[in-house]
Amino acid sequence: MSSAVAQQWFKNSQLVGDKLLVTSAVFFPLIGLCIFFCYPLFLVAGKSLQLADGTYGIANYINVLKSPGIVKAVCNSMVLSVSTTAFCLFFGFAVAFALQRSGIGGKRYLKGALSLPLLAPSLVQALGLLFLLGRNGLVHKWTGWDIEIYGFWGLLIANILYGLPQAILIIEAALRQSDARYYEAAEILGASKWKQFFDITLPNAKFGILSAGFVVFTVTITDFGNAAVIGGNYKVLATEIYSQVVGQMNFGMGAVIGILLLLPTLIAVYIERVASQKQFGGSSESAIPVSTNFYAKRDVPLGVFVHTIASIAVLVVMTVIMASFIKLWPYRMTFTLANYNITLSGGYTPLWTSLLVSVEAAVLGVVFLFALAFSMKRIPPKLAKLVYLLAVLPVGVPGLVLGISYVLAFNVSDNMLGMLYGSSFLIALCNFYHYHSQGFLTMITGVRAVPPALEETVSCFGGGNVRILRDAVLPFMGPTIISVFFFIFMRSMVTLSAVIFLISSKVSVAAVSVMRLDEAGFTSQAAAFSTCIMITVILAMGLMNSLIYLYSISGAGKEASSDQQGIEKRGLARMVDRTYCWSST
Amino acid sequence: MRAFNMQNVKILATGIFMGLAFCSQVQAGEITVYSALEEDEIADYLAVAKKSLPDIEINVLRLSTGDLGARVIAESANPQADVIWGFAVTNMADKKILSQLEPYKAVNSESLPAQYRAEDDSWFAATGYMGALCVNTAVLESKKLPMPKSWSDLTNPVYKGEVVMPNPASSGTGYLQVAAIIQGAGEEAGWKLIDEMDDNMAQYTSSGSKPCKMARAGEYAIGASLSFVAMKSVEMGYPVSMVIPSDWAGYELEASGLLAGSKNKEDAKKFLDWTLSQEAAELYTKYKAIITIPGSKPSEMATAAGLPENLSEVLYPVDFAKSAKERPEILKKWSATTTK
Repeated sequence: MSSAVAQQWFKNSQLVGDKLLVTSAVFFPLIGLCIFFCYPLFLVAGKSLQLADGTYGIANYINVLKSPGIVKAVCNSMVLSVSTTAFCLFFGFAVAFALQRSGIGGKRYLKGALSLPLLAPSLVQALGLLFLLGRNGLVHKWTGWDIEIYGFWGLLIANILYGLPQAILIIEAALRQSDARYYEAAEILGASKWKQFFDITLPNAKFGILSAGFVVFTVTITDFGNAAVIGGNYKVLATEIYSQVVGQMNFGMGAVIGILLLLPTLIAVYIERVASQKQFGGSSESAIPVSTNFYAKRDVPLGVFVHTIASIAVLVVMTVIMASFIKLWPYRMTFTLANYNITLSGGYTPLWTSLLVSVEAAVLGVVFLFALAFSMKRIPPKLAKLVYLLAVLPVGVPGLVLGISYVLAFNVSDNMLGMLYGSSFLIALCNFYHYHSQGFLTMITGVRAVPPALEETVSCFGGGNVRILRDAVLPFMGPTIISVFFFIFMRSMVTLSAVIFLISSKVSVAAVSVMRLDEAGFTSQAAAFSTCIMITVILAMGLMNSLIYLYSISGAGKEASSDQQGIEKRGLARMVDRTYCWSST
Repeated sequence: MRAFNMQNVKILATGIFMGLAFCSQVQAGEITVYSALEEDEIADYLAVAKKSLPDIEINVLRLSTGDLGARVIAESANPQADVIWGFAVTNMADKKILSQLEPYKAVNSESLPAQYRAEDDSWFAATGYMGALCVNTAVLESKKLPMPKSWSDLTNPVYKGEVVMPNPASSGTGYLQVAAIIQGAGEEAGWKLIDEMDDNMAQYTSSGSKPCKMARAGEYAIGASLSFVAMKSVEMGYPVSMVIPSDWAGYELEASGLLAGSKNKEDAKKFLDWTLSQEAAELYTKYKAIITIPGSKPSEMATAAGLPENLSEVLYPVDFAKSAKERPEILKKWSATTTK
């Protein structure tokens, strides 16, 4: 009798706990989005309606649409973004497939090499391409070939390098889980490898591919850095914003273009619709991972292809690192360490601020994004749709617009939010929300790959959301969570466009130091400082990786293996334990 | 995966809120200065200023002209700075900035010639910089090109595809060059010259220092840029010559003023006074092409560039208020005239 009461009480409390978990998992990230994204953006929208004489109206919109060159800029932006997206999806899928499903060698190196453009300050990519492919670059010197890097093609290369790692991040999450039994069945039925690829692999990665395409398209259309350096006379929308806001101090017009740039994110509505359709297969609790055996006919060409792409990324960065040890590139090519003696006021201090800011952004990011992605399936579909839209919207906001919106929102004296202004924590928040969409889409792609049957099993055994989370979702999501963490960490270390509005005379970050050195004319010192940032990021990542490794050893006892299968086994083993527990009570 | 137990959550929370501790507090004797002057000159000036004003802690935030303007406008609801120091006067004269300044008659400001200060004393300019061409002598030599001396020279077809210039819509430097040509040559001849130069122009950049950096790296032969970057490049050892166009030397004044929202006006004023002192004037000679403080030595740079002691001989007396007002019209015409 008393045990029945206790059981009833336990069940009730579990239900309450369940609700509480889902509610808070949605509530806190949503409040964060409202305060640190929607509200600032709302103020920018207000600016877009404010006219030069202080009154309100839509004249700014009309002026933008009427201004000469805007049609050209829109067309250029569209052509560029569509081409970049096409290349990034093709390359990105090839790399993600090579990493997750093939037997090619040097996977770790590949992964590192292709994330270089994420952890390098934008100056590095610009300088690297110029040193290599510029009119006075190495390729020209060695071959005498006159390349015209400025303009569409240069911009395309630079944008592909920047968009590719973000595409890989998301597509990889989609390809991570798989079930060999589909392929075995297809094999028995006599389907060719190509047919298997088009009928099993591609459809299963559909959501990831669409999301990656959306992200690449939007980051390209909002990117200013590459356009300014290598775009030459190829004018795009982001350069228009810059010349309105920074060149002519004309906030209204800049805000209008910023708002118009949100339009492409409407594509996200379509992606969300695709996502809500049931994808077949996915993976199941008894999934047998697809073997990643070496298969020469596929893996040799694939390996050559993806390693070539990686080499380009490495070459660009290595050129700049090399230049940082050169006295006067390209005139006096003698070795020197002098460039590492940073004469800038503050020296290397901003580097440590950046490190703190980036860890804060990444930790906050992973917790909020995971919570949001986990609860998407557990809240009413209408609400889920709204959350989805809000969560993917930030990628459509150019950094410059985000930075100014933060000043408008947080530089206030009459409420609590004002306390954040001038602090490094606000920079961390800004960085997290700047890259919110990429992190969210990766997480949700990962969550979708968690076998639904496994969640149901836990649920059938009486496990609530807490248990589903711990026993079904987390073990599968480990690698995805870690890659999202490092993505936000790396971007936060080097992003500049928004942050430039949030530094103060006392708090500054590393990316700003690079820009200052470059502006003051010390290009080699800027390259040296960038090299230090990259080394710091790599060291920090190495350290965090080994901490995770140590933790996984101590956490899992003798099952030290941290690879996918290990984690999976552990999760299942724990579940079996628990099943035993439940049946015995 | 036990990463989500309470202990860890606590550690995370502590870490996050540590960040909040960075909030700064305004103290008496402390001022915040926004400046668009160059990094190394600021360091030099501050070292001396701190000795003369030992009771004031001067915090400087250095931003490029465009970023600084955007920042000040964005912060207008709750101004964070006390002083704007060395900011392009064309931007300072914009009413979005002007409306945030509080007139202050700095000590010695009445000794400045009238064109170097605002009528209502909302700003004054102690220094200025000039437009200059960065010419890569190595490229000239290898392509057998003549040395250009003026804007008119740049219309010579031999330079086709070898000239870079900042876009006046996004760069103040670009605008001062265009304004100087139009005001110097007159409306008609000025626009004709810009049109002819356009044929030779490889690209228009968004930043004012970029053309010089491209020229010094050997990407192009000639970059229309600023005296500061040109001098710096020569000093660093690049094969670069600085050429001040002999026809119309565009220039920009660096204005300073007191922000109305300052919470420490007393110290802010003391600092503004210092920027006009003879002590400061002495320091300016090392970096500045134009020094407006009467009685100061001609700058090293002006002498090196072969400029006359009396700069008003070459500097066109620009009406900066008018220049700021006409900007939208000039930019519109500019984008209609140029083809790139």
